[in-house]
Amino acid sequence: MVTTLGILETNLNGLVLKNPIITASGTYGYTNEYKDFTDVSSLGSIVTKAITLNSRAGNKNIRITETKSGMINSIGLENVGIDKFLETKIPVLKENNIDFIVNIAGSTIDEYISLAKICNQNNIKAIELNVSCPNVKSGCLEFGTDEDSLYELVSEVRNEYKGYLIVKLTPNVTSIEKLGNSAQKAGANAISAINTLKGTSIKINCINGEIQKSIISGGYSGIGIKPIAVSMVMRLSKAVTIPIIGIGGIETLEDVLEFLSAGADAIQIGTANFTHPDIAGRLVIELEEFIKKNGFKDLEELKKELRK
Amino acid sequence: MIKDKIKKIYKGKVKNIEKVSASSYVIDIEIPERIEVTPGQFITIYCDGLTLRRPFSVFANKENIISILFKERGKGTNYIKSLKCGDEIDIIGPLGNGFTIKNKKALLIGAGIGIAPMNFLKTKLDEKGIENILAGGFLNKDEIPFNIKLDKIYTDDGSKGEGGSILNYLGVLINTFNPEIIYTCGPSIVLKTVANAGMKYNIETQVAMEKVMACGIGVCRGCVIDIKKDNKVINATVCKDGPVFLGNEVVW
Repeated sequence: MVTTLGILETNLNGLVLKNPIITASGTYGYTNEYKDFTDVSSLGSIVTKAITLNSRAGNKNIRITETKSGMINSIGLENVGIDKFLETKIPVLKENNIDFIVNIAGSTIDEYISLAKICNQNNIKAIELNVSCPNVKSGCLEFGTDEDSLYELVSEVRNEYKGYLIVKLTPNVTSIEKLGNSAQKAGANAISAINTLKGTSIKINCINGEIQKSIISGGYSGIGIKPIAVSMVMRLSKAVTIPIIGIGGIETLEDVLEFLSAGADAIQIGTANFTHPDIAGRLVIELEEFIKKNGFKDLEELKKELRK
Repeated sequence: MIKDKIKKIYKGKVKNIEKVSASSYVIDIEIPERIEVTPGQFITIYCDGLTLRRPFSVFANKENIISILFKERGKGTNYIKSLKCGDEIDIIGPLGNGFTIKNKKALLIGAGIGIAPMNFLKTKLDEKGIENILAGGFLNKDEIPFNIKLDKIYTDDGSKGEGGSILNYLGVLINTFNPEIIYTCGPSIVLKTVANAGMKYNIETQVAMEKVMACGIGVCRGCVIDIKKDNKVINATVCKDGPVFLGNEVVW
């Protein structure tokens, strides 16, 4: 199915996508994995799995568990490292004709700066900063939970990187508006929100009076976080002027409309890619059909109507 | 191991669902086309309202019918059990790399619900005329699916076949049957013990692993295990690199 050019065009003030449906970091591989299920080149963009300066093996023990309305993951940023990523993964994305955004993560500002420089040198069009990593310097508080640390981090990355800079905010804060403002002041082109919530699951099994526990702490995602994400996107949209990419529990067209209505200019699909691997491509088609069926001119007009 | 067959989402139909032991069921799923599945490969089933699809190794595959043998364990299997003939069922498959069938005298060891892919493998070995015996270990006689033809039966409580864990008989099985290859599926302790026995007797072992997974296609990295490759320990996904691995390459 060929999507008519134009009607879903999404202008994120410096980054133009063919539609607002993006797949979230860590949930879409490098698209080859999804080619059997959907037309991956029809997506607005995909955000690649968080890349660090050096490769990481990730966490041992239990990495995922299901919760009543989503899942908790503790993968531990397993990735091949930036060099191998540029060498082996980017060619796959290019071959599949994918507009991609590179998610980067570090544990010191210097690591982020190095990654930003490398992305700049390699003409990476857009990057998304994962700021939910512990900042070694500040006693391992996450960069994204402190306004000043976030401002410093984004400013330093901004200095080194000339492309489109998205900051992915963590919801594990008291006032997401303040963090959004820090990112905007420091020169971010857009905000994506939200990253996963901190969650813990303790599964208890009792066999003949003996308690066995299976504990996992990590990032909680899926349909259960959607109301929180919508609330944060709505608050952010009043606090900042840069575009917002909404993320959190999206798996139907209604969810997409909800986020657009709350102030998101584009959206990312995460956990739902695991449950329904054809979902992202399907939502592109459904959104276009919805706009046509209801007589809106294009996505821009739909957004205006939704926000009245 | 066979790579990269086209995997698809199928809106299948429940053709039959039957209780085959005290706690296990076989469900036959009719899909719109005939697919080729290798024993050891699996499918995932979408269970209404649950975030994670549930993986099941294929128990039998004839024409456009895929059958799985499952044990009622929790929310997912409870949902599948509740399905009726004619109900729609959303499956993805075939996934992962199955057993590499070799023209070698084979010992097949299935423990508990791990008997499922071994049954499928036996069918294929028989078709190819490869000598094999299928040994199954269960808690008790009520746990043995009536629809599986076993050559050797072991029950922990001695209610059928030889009494005690199948692992206690591993040495005897190897010494009497002299297999050139051992294929196995079951709880981790069974796989580990069989892999170690394989190394001791210098027999190739292929083990089908199990791990909680989210995507089933190698993306989420939720189901990684350690394996040894070229003297290095590396991550491998059970869903895409496996679920079948050589017993001597798994770090137990």
